[in-house]
Amino acid sequence: MASDLLTIGLSGAKAARAALDLTAQNIANAGTAGYVRRSLSLAEVSSTGGFGQPGKLSLSGVRVDHVVRNADLFRQAEARRTGADAARADIEIGGLQQIEAAIEQSRLYPSMVGFEGSLQKLASDPTDPSLRAGVVEAARTMAATFNIAANGLTAASEGLTTGAQSGVRDVNTLATELGRLNLRLARAADASSDQSALLDQRDTLLQQISSYGDISTTFNATNGVVDVRIGGSSGPVLVQGGSANTLAMTAAPDGTLSFDVGGSAAALSGGSLAGQMLGLAKLAQVSSDLDAAANLMMSTVNTAQAGGAALDGSAGQPLFSGSGAAGMALAFTNGAKLATAPAGAPAGSRDPGNLDALRAALTSADPTGAADRLLFDISSTISSRKVTQGALKAIASNARTALEAQSGVDLDAEAVNLLRFQQAFQASGKAMQVAGTIFDTLINLR
Amino acid sequence: MTLINTSTSAFYSRSQSGMQDLRAQAEALQTSIGTGLKYTAASDNPVATARLRQLGRSDTLSAIDKTNAGRATTDLQLADTALSNLASAIIRAKELSAQAANGTFTPAQRRSIGAEISSIRTSVIRLANTNDANGHALFGGQSAGAAYTTDTSGNAVYAGTASAGTLSLGDGQVVNRGVTGPEFINFTHNGAPTDLLATLKTLADALQNADPAAQSIANASLDTLNSGLDAVTTAQSLVGSRLASIDLANERRTAMEELRAGEEADTGGTDLAAAVTKLQETMTVLQASQASFAKLARLSLFDVLN
Repeated sequence: MASDLLTIGLSGAKAARAALDLTAQNIANAGTAGYVRRSLSLAEVSSTGGFGQPGKLSLSGVRVDHVVRNADLFRQAEARRTGADAARADIEIGGLQQIEAAIEQSRLYPSMVGFEGSLQKLASDPTDPSLRAGVVEAARTMAATFNIAANGLTAASEGLTTGAQSGVRDVNTLATELGRLNLRLARAADASSDQSALLDQRDTLLQQISSYGDISTTFNATNGVVDVRIGGSSGPVLVQGGSANTLAMTAAPDGTLSFDVGGSAAALSGGSLAGQMLGLAKLAQVSSDLDAAANLMMSTVNTAQAGGAALDGSAGQPLFSGSGAAGMALAFTNGAKLATAPAGAPAGSRDPGNLDALRAALTSADPTGAADRLLFDISSTISSRKVTQGALKAIASNARTALEAQSGVDLDAEAVNLLRFQQAFQASGKAMQVAGTIFDTLINLR
Repeated sequence: MTLINTSTSAFYSRSQSGMQDLRAQAEALQTSIGTGLKYTAASDNPVATARLRQLGRSDTLSAIDKTNAGRATTDLQLADTALSNLASAIIRAKELSAQAANGTFTPAQRRSIGAEISSIRTSVIRLANTNDANGHALFGGQSAGAAYTTDTSGNAVYAGTASAGTLSLGDGQVVNRGVTGPEFINFTHNGAPTDLLATLKTLADALQNADPAAQSIANASLDTLNSGLDAVTTAQSLVGSRLASIDLANERRTAMEELRAGEEADTGGTDLAAAVTKLQETMTVLQASQASFAKLARLSLFDVLN
């Protein structure tokens, strides 16, 4: 085939035009989430010379080979994995902080100290009705604070469970979407801009799913169809080709969560669902510790009450009723029923024998200390998780930056491309003009 | 061809998160300066806040110890005053019995002396039945009613309990909250247990009934009353020493309070100088990053290329 300057110029102009279009597309999508920068791969068009003319010049210009999608599978997988870890840490700390607020801001510890203090005050004059009323009021405040703390924990538990439920719903929606996308990917033409857009969507969906749970992915090298397992590489299959399985959540009576896909358990270690699961596990422990502290306080006081005599000389009755932090309530509100005197003491006795026994029992059983340890437990858990969270966040943001540096749109680079391809277009135009001039020269030969 | 570039959207999101972080830091410092507390939640520093909780608990309980010590002090001071009055009464009774022991006095004069001693005895019983600040019997131990009651034959009987009980002053310090009637009314004279009210009654009865042995009874009473006075002054010095031990405990408590306040300020209080300096530093960095962001964001190749 003979070389044709006009054809070569035309192919160059077409290629430059396509590159300019792609650059404009990149610029337009500079802020689009999930958009991966495209570039054009060009290939030379050449042919062997005609019959018997092997050495002859046979140039035919340039053609658009394929659209390059500047995505790196490793960096994307890294961004997903680290993003899942960071999401887990964020949600877990959020849940833990709610637990901390429920225990600390209910002012549980100060109210327990207040009760202890009111007993100490009563020791100065065990028959004083105002001091006795003070003890009953302090006990009422303490019971109310235990109730508030328990309610706060319940609210935190509900918040985390609702979050996990909506997370599971989202994962299932996204998985179904990904299945449909897989079908379309299998049919898309190779290396077309249509396929690139679908791949962008696929990666966005994977990114979204990985923010809920850690996933492992297997890509089909030819058409980009992805299979997804949830809960690590040995977890159950969530998406295979065009079909998506359903992730399900089960809440145990103590509020702790477990996940499964079609009956086979999914052990999530990353993503917001794992964060909610860890938060709820801690909450169940804190909740049972709080109940233990409440029960210890009630049993210590009630046992001591039973061993003494009330102001009128009658046998002491339990001060608290109910069980657990949520059920703690006062059994009587009349301060005269506080058994400060030892059993068998006459009415109106100023003997603080039983009050001293109660205070000694509170010191040795130490429910206040239990509340203190509970607070320390949560706060030190949060504090250590915060260190981990900081590290995970930094890692995730680095992975994200590395991914974006490669796949994001840099407007300055696009400006340069715009200029470059504009010049290429102009140059190709010039080549066509030269072809025209040559043709005219030959035509005008006389 | 792959080219490592700085993505425009990444630049904006990085700048934004950097400035957000700085702003959050500045706000945390501002809160810390505003509240005077270094930590807003226990998780900010679990160990320090646990220590602060312990210190707060000690503060609360120590304040109650202080009130209790105040009550005990009042009661002991009341006891001290009552014992002083009692001592004066015994001294007056001694003067009267010295007069009655004098042979020149007529039975009629002795009768009037007896009447006065009888009224002294009544006032001694009244003193022994003094109430404390809370309206309870000051010398009745832990009983609900009066310390002394009078039986049908006019003898005073102690109705209180054996001990006045103790009161905790905190830090393991314990003080006896008072003295009971028998501690200064009952005493031993010449090896025989006796009590002040019985002595006064015997004396008053003998003088008023013109007992022939009245003079010798009055004479013997002089010695007995001396021993009684000793018992009262002993009780008074006991009260004084208890007051002194409360003062000592108060001083110790004040010293501990100061120590705790110091530790609380060190552990959980905002170091204003450090916090303000840190705030200034954060603000400077924030302003610098805002300025550099504004400059960088304005910089676009599109403006330069024409």
